[in-house]
Amino acid sequence: MTDAVAVPKNRGLFDRSVLGCATKPVEVEVERGRIRFFAGVLGESEPAYFDVAAAREQGYPDLLAPPSYFMVLEALANEELRRQGHPGVYELLQCDFRFLLHGDETYTYLGQVFAGDRLTFSTTVVDFFEKKGGAMEFATLTSTVAHSERGVLITANRTLLHRFG
Amino acid sequence: MRNPTSDAKPGDRLAPFTFGPIDRKMLALYAGASGDHNPAHIDIDFAKEAGLEDVFAHGMLSFGVLSQVVTRWCGAGRLRRFGVRFASITKVHDVITCSGEIIERFESAGKTLLKISVVATAQDGRQTLSGDALVAID
Repeated sequence: MTDAVAVPKNRGLFDRSVLGCATKPVEVEVERGRIRFFAGVLGESEPAYFDVAAAREQGYPDLLAPPSYFMVLEALANEELRRQGHPGVYELLQCDFRFLLHGDETYTYLGQVFAGDRLTFSTTVVDFFEKKGGAMEFATLTSTVAHSERGVLITANRTLLHRFG
Repeated sequence: MRNPTSDAKPGDRLAPFTFGPIDRKMLALYAGASGDHNPAHIDIDFAKEAGLEDVFAHGMLSFGVLSQVVTRWCGAGRLRRFGVRFASITKVHDVITCSGEIIERFESAGKTLLKISVVATAQDGRQTLSGDALVAID
């Protein structure tokens, strides 16, 4: 980064008062077309992501969602929260996209996500910490994706960070 | 369903593949497909105002590509965990090589699992992502 960008003096940008807070759980819908679009962009070739008959041959009830489809579920949840007038995770943390990066992400898959599923999504802010004397500021998040009958399908543990310079 | 996992052992390497070069159209499509509209990935004016030289690739685009080194091998249904650290930014024009190696075979709660280390590397040797996967053997 160049000197042209004004870096906040105190550097900390995340709203640390939201420690322990969670986004309102909202329902999101898994759509066939979105799975195909998402899998296609990733260069996926797995037939179960594109072809309902192929998915059923593999024993799945409908199109299977790729492992990182979590991102779509989160985006849909954020859209729904915005519609309802509640903060999504980026608003909750007050992320500044000029400095925002992903630190690490770990997803645990307890079940599969299929087209047609209606899933409940929520994220909790579990930690804030700094590195390099505050030049990097981290927020740790946990998220769950749950189905009303099949239970929790995905848990996510992630850090987002602001990197200053 | 194919099951290459049954006799897999530590030291086995999974078939590597390359992805890219990453281009701006890909980033625009990933923004639309994923719903991640962070302008740092798609709007060069925003990137320059933020002091960056250019837009850069979504981390989760690389995550989604890297996960395929495992799922192309054993099928997505066996994946139990996938975790990565983002080591460096993936740039426009990068060609990413994804590779994986089985590092452990162990029992947990009556199930046999494989731990697989995974790495994404750009054409100049720069590591962009590293992490590991857990796969269930059935």
